[in-house]
Amino acid sequence: MAGELLWKRGEGPTSLGVAGGNDFQWCFSQVKGAIDEDVAEADIISTVEFNYSGELLATGDKGGRVVIFQHEQESKNRPHLRGEYNVYSTFQSHEPEFDYLKSLEIEEKINKIRWLPQQNAAHFLLSTNDKTIKLWKISERDKRAEGYNLKDEDGRLRDPFRITSLRVPVLMPMDLMVEASPRRIFANAHTYHINSISVNSDHETYLSADDLRINLWHLEITDRSFNIVDIKPANMEELTEVITAAECHPHQCNVFVYSSSKGTIRLCDMRAAALCDRHSKFFEEPEDPSSRSFFSEIISSISDVKFSHSGRYMMTRDYLSVKVWDLNMENRPVETYQVHEYLRSKLCSLYENDCIFDKFECCWNGSDSAIMTGSYNNFFRMFDRNTRRDITLEASRESSKPRATLKPRKVSTGGKRKKDEISVDSLDFNKKILHTAWHPKDNVIAVAATNNLYIFQDKIN
Amino acid sequence: MIMKAQKRKLPPEDVEVSDRGSPFWESQRQFVFSVSLNKYQRGQELPEPSLRRSVLIANTLRQVSLEGCMAPPEDREVSQPPCSSSSAVQEGFFTAAAIHHSSVMFANSHSALASCPLLSLNYLSNCATSRSPASCHSNVPQSVKDEDEDWGSMSMDPDFSLSAAISSILTALDSTIDGSPQAAQRTPLRSLENLSGPSEGGVAWVKQGVRGYGGNWEPQDECRVRESSMEAMRSSYLTDLTVEDLFQDIDTSLLERDMGVLGLRGSGGGYPAGDDLLRPSSSSSPSFSAPPFSSQNHMREGLELEHLMEILVES
Repeated sequence: MAGELLWKRGEGPTSLGVAGGNDFQWCFSQVKGAIDEDVAEADIISTVEFNYSGELLATGDKGGRVVIFQHEQESKNRPHLRGEYNVYSTFQSHEPEFDYLKSLEIEEKINKIRWLPQQNAAHFLLSTNDKTIKLWKISERDKRAEGYNLKDEDGRLRDPFRITSLRVPVLMPMDLMVEASPRRIFANAHTYHINSISVNSDHETYLSADDLRINLWHLEITDRSFNIVDIKPANMEELTEVITAAECHPHQCNVFVYSSSKGTIRLCDMRAAALCDRHSKFFEEPEDPSSRSFFSEIISSISDVKFSHSGRYMMTRDYLSVKVWDLNMENRPVETYQVHEYLRSKLCSLYENDCIFDKFECCWNGSDSAIMTGSYNNFFRMFDRNTRRDITLEASRESSKPRATLKPRKVSTGGKRKKDEISVDSLDFNKKILHTAWHPKDNVIAVAATNNLYIFQDKIN
Repeated sequence: MIMKAQKRKLPPEDVEVSDRGSPFWESQRQFVFSVSLNKYQRGQELPEPSLRRSVLIANTLRQVSLEGCMAPPEDREVSQPPCSSSSAVQEGFFTAAAIHHSSVMFANSHSALASCPLLSLNYLSNCATSRSPASCHSNVPQSVKDEDEDWGSMSMDPDFSLSAAISSILTALDSTIDGSPQAAQRTPLRSLENLSGPSEGGVAWVKQGVRGYGGNWEPQDECRVRESSMEAMRSSYLTDLTVEDLFQDIDTSLLERDMGVLGLRGSGGGYPAGDDLLRPSSSSSPSFSAPPFSSQNHMREGLELEHLMEILVES
């Protein structure tokens, strides 16, 4: 089954909204989260994900909480504005745990959230921390049954012998209550830290990947999973490469990819073998010898891999660039976009302060015509694949006036800094945008800046 | 983040230097090396280090050490002062020993189920053996080269199975002391302990070399030093050695000194290290059956080393 096809040719967003362009401009819509300078560690957002329709937007944080926002219908008074996202449900997904065998604390930080396609009134999502994946059901309750026979309104049981007549309970409306309940807990299958989960297009299975292994689960079965990739060497001394991300193909339920810390991507076909240690395709770009440095391997480490909605391309994010690959061509990407090339001369410092290990994510827009990824100083970048134009925007409180148009930002690389430009040395490397999400259909984006969630949307001129 | 005892060296420019011939390349290489080593150790001291981060840092460390080995010989002979070639030696020691120690720390803090990204030090040892004789030769401090001409011929012998000889010595030592070859639950005595003291390391190692080479006191090549320590480390993963012990002032002038002064007597012979080695320890008698995951015990290390020296001296 192809699953819900979100990619439509010729429809949907087709441009970045570059200022002066003929389409639109990005403007501020909302910001969620506390304003204080003092950011509690637990409030730092660690994942952002729209559901398949875009109606719901989920965030996970380091404190193990999941907050789901729901898109309100557009107001009749202002049809040109999209509705807002308001809190729909909040729940504690994961708690800190203690591994007694290893004497280690297991962080409750939510590493990834993935929605399941909606099949009934309830919504389902998978959330994972380093070790355990949970399937949550989010359902609404807006009616309550009243008039039970065996218990009274307080809930106390009635004495059966006192009942003289029977009545049929009636459903009375009540205030909307959104309940989140854990339906499945998939535990004890990962020795190493889970970095990815991905729902398969068959809507029955999903994969979970840690540093060295990838497991395939059935959504109904929690006590076992299939190990489909294992790159752990017999002698751990020989370990030089780890798995960094994995994703199922959006349409072919037998195909998945996983990326490595050495900048390679392997595409595997589960029909070929039960254990997919041998890849079907191997994607790697030959290294440019002129740009080789001590940090070449570290910056080639892929932090995220995402299939396009069409399933024909995939995108990888390494430290300095985003690459789009055609699945039919393994020897080099078809497109490469520099995210912040000005950092190349600063790699030594970035290595020293550990920023070089930051894992940025990337995402496609609904029509696969544009891609987005984050950077430092709360900047995020968008690239239009058709026009090859790019734009840098900032998620900041200063530009957070309602419907305020975002001004493109620029980092000055030369000696002379123009007005409104910011120099590389002035960038705040503590303000990093690692997680971004693009609405599957509309020009609405969610950008996580530390503990704040910014929502931007288009404003049609 | 930088270790207190180590002076931070910034590269002259904070730019990527890809040209190996550039004068900044070496300084940047050393900077990256020290930062990498620091990061690796600190990462391993965490209860659960990130595997991706550990692997990336370990790979960088390995690459930087390898590139240090493979520096063009002309540059080293002509322009490098003796101290920088000895720094390469120190790097070799520090890399192997500290990484080894860190791996051990990591192993000590985990159960058997935990992963332990021990570095494979094959690169370093391969570098030592496969490197061209010219570059081997060039790594020797100038004073040694001048003093001893026979050394050159020795180092250029490609068939010289150094690693095999060292391994056999170490194995013999192990079996002598605890009666069994490398078992899973090994006793703490390992050749790494020969490097535990500042000067103890140098002397003990040299003595081992003496045993293997029938009393030939020719100062050994730095790459042999590195390789022998690699071999030792690869074979011994359980030790209570601390990083501080290793980072005390290893004086590479030990290698330059005329080894004849040290003699085989080992009872001081004018060399201060001998006094250190034979210094009576204040704790109880040495024990060689410590459990593998015991906590650090410097005193036990000293006692075992002393015992080892007594055995070497007696034989």
